[in-house]
Amino acid sequence: MLNYIVRRLLLLPLVVLGVTFLLFFLTQRLSPEMRASLYVKDPRQMGALEEVIRQYGLRDNVFKQYGRWLANVAQGDLGYSPSANMPVAQAIKEYLPATIQLAFITILFVVFFGVWFGSASAVHKDKWQDVVARLVSVGGFSLPIFVLGLILLMIFYGKLGWFAPGGYSVQTDMIIHGGAFKTYTGFLLVDSLLNGNLRVFGDVLSHLVLPAVTLCIGSFALMVRVMRSSMLEELNKDYVRTARAKGLTQWQVVYKHAGKNAIIPVITLASIQFIRLLGGTVIVETIFDYPGIGRFGVIAAQQLDIAGILGFSLMVAVLFVLGNLLSDILYTAVDPRIRLE
Amino acid sequence: MTCSSEPILEVRNLHIDFTAEEGRLPVLCGLSYALPKGRVLAVVGESGSGKTVHALSVLRLLPPNAHVSGGEICYKGQNLALLSEGELRRIRGGKISMIFQDPAASLNPVLTIGQQLTETLLAHRKMSKEEARRQAARLLEKVGIAGAAKRLEEYPFQFSGGMCQRVMIAMALALSPDVLIADEPTTALDVTVQAQILRLIKQLQTESGMSAVFITHNLAVAAAVADEVLVLYAGRCMEQAPAEQLFKNPLHPYTQGLLNSLAPLHQKVEKLPVIAGHPPVPGQAQAGCPFAPRCPFASEKCRQSCPPLFEENGRKTRCWLREVHA
Repeated sequence: MLNYIVRRLLLLPLVVLGVTFLLFFLTQRLSPEMRASLYVKDPRQMGALEEVIRQYGLRDNVFKQYGRWLANVAQGDLGYSPSANMPVAQAIKEYLPATIQLAFITILFVVFFGVWFGSASAVHKDKWQDVVARLVSVGGFSLPIFVLGLILLMIFYGKLGWFAPGGYSVQTDMIIHGGAFKTYTGFLLVDSLLNGNLRVFGDVLSHLVLPAVTLCIGSFALMVRVMRSSMLEELNKDYVRTARAKGLTQWQVVYKHAGKNAIIPVITLASIQFIRLLGGTVIVETIFDYPGIGRFGVIAAQQLDIAGILGFSLMVAVLFVLGNLLSDILYTAVDPRIRLE
Repeated sequence: MTCSSEPILEVRNLHIDFTAEEGRLPVLCGLSYALPKGRVLAVVGESGSGKTVHALSVLRLLPPNAHVSGGEICYKGQNLALLSEGELRRIRGGKISMIFQDPAASLNPVLTIGQQLTETLLAHRKMSKEEARRQAARLLEKVGIAGAAKRLEEYPFQFSGGMCQRVMIAMALALSPDVLIADEPTTALDVTVQAQILRLIKQLQTESGMSAVFITHNLAVAAAVADEVLVLYAGRCMEQAPAEQLFKNPLHPYTQGLLNSLAPLHQKVEKLPVIAGHPPVPGQAQAGCPFAPRCPFASEKCRQSCPPLFEENGRKTRCWLREVHA
């Protein structure tokens, strides 16, 4: 098992190298002038362009440039992001916790309701519970995220005014950056509770609800389907008949026996979805103007902020490998056949 | 054979249908028997004869597409079909327990042997988890598994097929049930292991004095364990007799055919005799005796109407040939 984890971790640099080199190579399609122009905002200073190109070696061979970037990354320097107006590393540190927070809450809901609806659907196959779960699932599956996001915004923000879109309120920002607010984890939801500041907690939560619900729907639909088919398969197996013949209750038979087996594919799906959410909340963060890493990535891409784009993709690649590792570890926790062989 | 004691399990005129695209297919047509206390009944039949379906129906474990369409199954005079889920649960595993054909698939792959054994105990008895564990270890030792305490921590995939079946037996006997229903318990095992398992079941059955229904397609298995044998063909009882008499003197042509097609142990034979033809497909309604198309003695009468079970000297035979004797 340890062996396996080490092997997975050895794979990490390979994946990261592959992804970043590909992206780096693509950015070279832009002329050195275009790449330099981001750092020179004032049209009157166009003369400085050549100096920037020389200073950063933008005309060098692509491998040389990539090597330089790698050497910097190895020292923890991801470069400066003009679009965020701060170093890339700092931007990730600032925005990633908000996205992790969003993704985590989303996946929590998805797994909880997905497993619940999916098993209910399988246990009551072809009854009304099943029909409802399947309808919800098909509906969620076919509803594009950006449409759903806008509808939710219209109803809950526009008409009812229950939740807030956009960045945190001015008061929240002032409290967070005011000095008295201590940062423990970087996750505002946790930190605000640790600081005993319910006002910040409420504000952060109200910004989380709509994006989280929007993100939930598609993943939830998939989760219901996977759980349903997995549960149906397990319920037909011989050991379920044994469990019934032993005189166990329906609850024990379904959740303890079949459920423990049926959950295995769900774990894989949930971890994949979680990682996908970390790198792919782009649309939702844009719609709700949520201060997360996805929005940072979008803005960096729109403004051809190369350091930002590279830093963002590096982060996604690392998360992807780590997430897969996590999924494998979880997998072995549930399935003894993998753990012990 | 007549038995004065009240039967512990009684099946009366049991009919079971399968729902299929073609409509309702009868797989069991009026099976009846009474199982006295401490006795072993072997139900013998080919695949598709309805023997497994009958076994599952006792504890209401039939798949959703199978229905009991008539008759009743009584445990100590209680009609099992009329019990509530809760009442039935107390009987399942506690009073009537089952072992199945494929032991490796019948155990949950992600729960330890210990978990699966103790949960059976805890489902029926008030005891602490510690107590249940000790009891589970004792049970494993009883079925011949060495190092029981350590093996409780292991998972089914770490056990061989024979070992899994021993675990299933330990689980089935955990609560000293009155009736054990064994559905082809040795079919999936190696021949040498088969004999060990059979001996184990027979020994435990004799020790505890419980009754057992042994479902098998193997006449040798029936001969090894049973007091009474019931031969099932196309969902009907063809012949029922005390084991010794049935093997010495089979009355039904089908039973005769089955016994003839066994390989004799001490003789060399060129070619084993077989029963020509195939058993009828469920749902293809036919008048007359279901065995008539394959029966060497079939007459016009056999093809016209199905014989009832004729009783003589405590034996039952569904054959017109026995009419005169009855």
